[in-house]
Amino acid sequence: MDSGTLGKKIGISEELIKKSCTLSLSYRFYNELLFHVDNSSSDAVFIVFTGSWMVKEWFSGDQAFGETRIDSKDWSKKAFPSMRSIGNDDVAIVNQAFLKRFELVSKGSEFVEKVTSAVDGKKPIIFTGHSSGGAVAVLATIWFLERQSSEANTGTAKCVTFGAPLVGDYIVSHALKREKWSKHFIHFVKRYDIVPRILLAPRSSIQQELEHVLRYYTANGHHDQLESIAPDFYEKVMRSTSFLASHAAEKLKRNTDYSLLETITNFTKPSPYRPSGTYIFCTGTGKLVHLDNPEAVLQLLFFSCQVSHKNEIIRSCINAHLDYATELERSLEENVVYVDRLEKLPPASDGSALDDLAQNARGRLCLRAAGALEKQKQENQQQIIGKKATMEKEMKVLEEYRTFNAQKVGYYDAFKKQNEERDFAANVSRLELAGIWDEIIEMLKGYCLPDEFEGEDSWIELGTKFRRLVEPLDIANYYRHAKNEDSGAYMIKGRPRRYRYPQRWLEKKKGWESGACGESCFWAEVEELLKLASNDGEVNETRAKELQERIAKWVEQGVAGKDVFLEDSTFLKLWEELGRLKLQQESIHTLMTKFTKLSVS
Amino acid sequence: MEAEASPFESSELVASFLASTPLLSESWRLCSVANASAPLGFVSERIGDVGYFAFSACNEGAVMVHAGLLNLFLFFRSSRAFQDQMLALINGSKSIVITGHSIGGTTASLCALWILCYLQSVSSTLSVLCITFGSPLLGNASLSRAILRERWGGNFCHVVSKYDIMPRLLFAPLESCTRQLHFLLQYWQMSMSASSPGNFGQSPVLQLGEEEKAQLFSFISHSNLLVSSVAQAEAREEKANSLYWPFGNYVFCSQEGAICVENAASVIEMMHLMFMTGNPSCCIDDHLKYGHYVGKISSQFLSKKSFLQGEVIPESSYEAGVELALQSSGISKQEPAARPAEDCLKKARGMRHMRTPSLNAANLAIRLSKVVPYRAQIEWYMASCDKSDEQLGYYDSFKQRGSSKRDHKVNMNRLLLAGFWNDVLRMLENNELPHDFHKRSKWVNTSHSYKLLVEPLDIAEYYRSGTHRIKGHYLKHGRERRFEIFDRWWGQREVGPEENTSMRSKFAGLTQDSCFWAKVEEATEWLANVRSESDARKLALLWENINNFERYATRLVDCKEVSKDVVAKNSSYSKWVEELRELKSQMQQIHPQFPRFNGELFP
Repeated sequence: MDSGTLGKKIGISEELIKKSCTLSLSYRFYNELLFHVDNSSSDAVFIVFTGSWMVKEWFSGDQAFGETRIDSKDWSKKAFPSMRSIGNDDVAIVNQAFLKRFELVSKGSEFVEKVTSAVDGKKPIIFTGHSSGGAVAVLATIWFLERQSSEANTGTAKCVTFGAPLVGDYIVSHALKREKWSKHFIHFVKRYDIVPRILLAPRSSIQQELEHVLRYYTANGHHDQLESIAPDFYEKVMRSTSFLASHAAEKLKRNTDYSLLETITNFTKPSPYRPSGTYIFCTGTGKLVHLDNPEAVLQLLFFSCQVSHKNEIIRSCINAHLDYATELERSLEENVVYVDRLEKLPPASDGSALDDLAQNARGRLCLRAAGALEKQKQENQQQIIGKKATMEKEMKVLEEYRTFNAQKVGYYDAFKKQNEERDFAANVSRLELAGIWDEIIEMLKGYCLPDEFEGEDSWIELGTKFRRLVEPLDIANYYRHAKNEDSGAYMIKGRPRRYRYPQRWLEKKKGWESGACGESCFWAEVEELLKLASNDGEVNETRAKELQERIAKWVEQGVAGKDVFLEDSTFLKLWEELGRLKLQQESIHTLMTKFTKLSVS
Repeated sequence: MEAEASPFESSELVASFLASTPLLSESWRLCSVANASAPLGFVSERIGDVGYFAFSACNEGAVMVHAGLLNLFLFFRSSRAFQDQMLALINGSKSIVITGHSIGGTTASLCALWILCYLQSVSSTLSVLCITFGSPLLGNASLSRAILRERWGGNFCHVVSKYDIMPRLLFAPLESCTRQLHFLLQYWQMSMSASSPGNFGQSPVLQLGEEEKAQLFSFISHSNLLVSSVAQAEAREEKANSLYWPFGNYVFCSQEGAICVENAASVIEMMHLMFMTGNPSCCIDDHLKYGHYVGKISSQFLSKKSFLQGEVIPESSYEAGVELALQSSGISKQEPAARPAEDCLKKARGMRHMRTPSLNAANLAIRLSKVVPYRAQIEWYMASCDKSDEQLGYYDSFKQRGSSKRDHKVNMNRLLLAGFWNDVLRMLENNELPHDFHKRSKWVNTSHSYKLLVEPLDIAEYYRSGTHRIKGHYLKHGRERRFEIFDRWWGQREVGPEENTSMRSKFAGLTQDSCFWAKVEEATEWLANVRSESDARKLALLWENINNFERYATRLVDCKEVSKDVVAKNSSYSKWVEELRELKSQMQQIHPQFPRFNGELFP
């Protein structure tokens, strides 16, 4: 644990935080307005999002927690291309109502214009909001960062929220870390504020109470009514928070698949929402606690909110939501406590500010587990890095094998024929590499590696090299054993994930559509077309045309070998069949004469 | 990757996870309704997508002896009302909870097992959870192992209160105290039916004397200790002979909280240690207090629980976690049971495995890549047999193999692969692998192609060594379990609509029926027997078998579902076909009329 002033650590000054807070709070009830731009400061432009206070503006759609896939609409699919887990091909889930609200914001002509002029003004932009306004600010910031990265613009942006409900699921947090955007998001949460926990409960369980609470906030509701529903509301939200937190903690701590846990989640679904970015908890005793481990934040959301007496609920948990200004005013003067190296946190209270949030040994052990998991991920990565040498060695063997065959039988066809001892040796190298990569993929599948892994250039490069070098051999092996006739085409039934994942990494990095980097598997399409053509089956014209165009492109780019065009290659067989069917393409014809001394018909 | 124990203790967490769902409280509510209803009653109710089905604890007669508990369930199952209600509940729900208090709990367990078996047979995805409260033990260690093997442990959750004598009764030989037992059961049943919700506390007439209670208490306590110490010894030797044995998860609850224990030997020991701290009268009344406990643990998340003032919290995460679990189990540090209970919780973890299932699966990928070259060498062997002039095919070459280095190597590879796959299955059965492991296409496909390639060699070895003459034919008596399991994985895999149905253009890489050769061996025997058989009925049966096999094999060969070694000139199969042809033509010469009077048997 470490302490010091906030500004330095999170890259935004106390002044700007205070100003964000003041603006957020003063604009929260502007119902007719979606957002407000404040240019009064010389240090930053503030874009403030107003709150929404109807239940349907928190929970919409027919899902239990009002969630939806972030790519559920065309515009959002384009606006948030990074919000997914790349290799696993899982898309982030966000709150549908907040997404809708942001859609209204971004579709208005003004918003993009104002953001653009702010960027042009070279001032940092601060997206901010209180309560549901904070949730919209999160989406706006992600939207902004997505645009920045594609336009390679160097603006800085921060998202500062106060008592915001959770917006997205685990994948949002995973993707923010991978893109190295986490530090842009700063969420202030008062210890007892119930609002950041609300979305952890299913709508059906809290709908009525929530209506009262929201009405109470907008000052239209009565205190009397609130008094009767508040304890119930608190209990339901906390029950769901406990459910989710203990589920998450069990996953952090478990050393086995607990099948009872799996059974129970078939009966009651936990909320999909998870914290993301950086959290700063206000302890209520004038201290601030900074945490950037989302798993730890989730545990703290539960453990820090247990009240001692029922009659404290309204004052502590409900009213707390409205009053961020005074608390911040007081605490920002003090030093902030940075909680890192959670795995070393003492289980007993140690007199630090964290004591105010979690004196409870159970809670502290859960925080420790969150820290230990992060550490474990780092260690797993180290262990894989340790295998890089073996990978290089085996790839070198295969590269030599490729060069050896480049002029004769061809890399693909030599391996497919398996006539020589060295073909067998190449197969052993292939299997060795496959094992290492399968292990990496299994780890990614279980999120056992650091979130940043799939965004790291060195791994994308290595993966691409591996994919281009080894996948042709896998395809050769597949068709050599006629596995397509056992179970189906390679691309549908046989393609291992160890090639699908690196392909997605590269496509994501380049910002290309899915399937654009299929150069490593064109042999599979050659085999499939050849099978169709030689069985007198119908060969789809566009399919044949597309394949030839793509091969031409890849050979010219040097990402596919020229051995494609060798006399006895499988491709030449297809080429002849295509000639018979009058489907040959001119582009490739030119290329063939250029690369080979053959005169091809 | 070095195995690393998780530095955390989570038995308490699982319990609080369960307690923050409505499952426990709803189940208990329905149990009390069932108990208050007529004897042999049951109630069902649907809440949202979840169906609840509760069995009454009340029934007539002492059912805890002989097959009483099973008969009780069979009695239910045969009743029309039960069948109708259960069917309606299963059809209308996404998941169902089967529950029961006391003897109703064992009925619930049996019912859940029955449903699980049924659902497995129809590959249904309905979730089943069995929650019992103070249920007596149900079956022996074999039942417990079978449930573990089917991975059904997670479908059972037995709630046991700290002092309740009922779940511990069957550790003792009950013949010596049937009279007390009779009183006890009657006392409980009367209390339960008197305590329909809101009408608690009407005291029943029958009571055991204080002395008898004390005797019973020490008798059960002693027996539990006995079984517990035997269990500890047996856990080490991995075998168990005690009559009754727990299965599934146990949620132990006390005034202080609850913990969840999964390992059977630890369950027995915790039962003993918690019971030790009780006394003769609370051990009987605790059986009726589940409403109180369920309420307590269902709301514990609202309160801050922490260590008592002045207690020192251990620095290690694990030690601290164990202390907290101990606290929740209601055993205070001063009690003599505290130390052994701590050890027991630690042992429970030790018997689990060290690494997380995802990491195990990742590591397995590496181990697989280490053994795949063995498979590649067998493929190489197969190809070279195909090319060889002997034209035997790899099955017969291996069956007739000599003592060359190559033959030896292939056999070694076969054994190494078997060792690897047995290991995988062992890990799977010990819950060391992800729960969906057997559905992951990588493993389904790899195990399948292993089976197709190597099982013929296993068959060859079986018949080469003459094992069939001792144990009987391979298919019935010699097939390794792993192949049957891989058959099941392959059969249950998700098959997309794009699955290939077109004809094969050439012989398959591997024969698609891995038992093909075993069938050839049996057919060879039939063919030999036909020549010597004189009994007309047996002869007809033999011919029927031969013809069936011939039809089957011909279809397989015609569809090119076999690899080309099957039709190699000198393979067992080719020889069999040849022999059959000869036999038929011989018979034609001897009995020219044969085809006419027995046309259907002789195509």
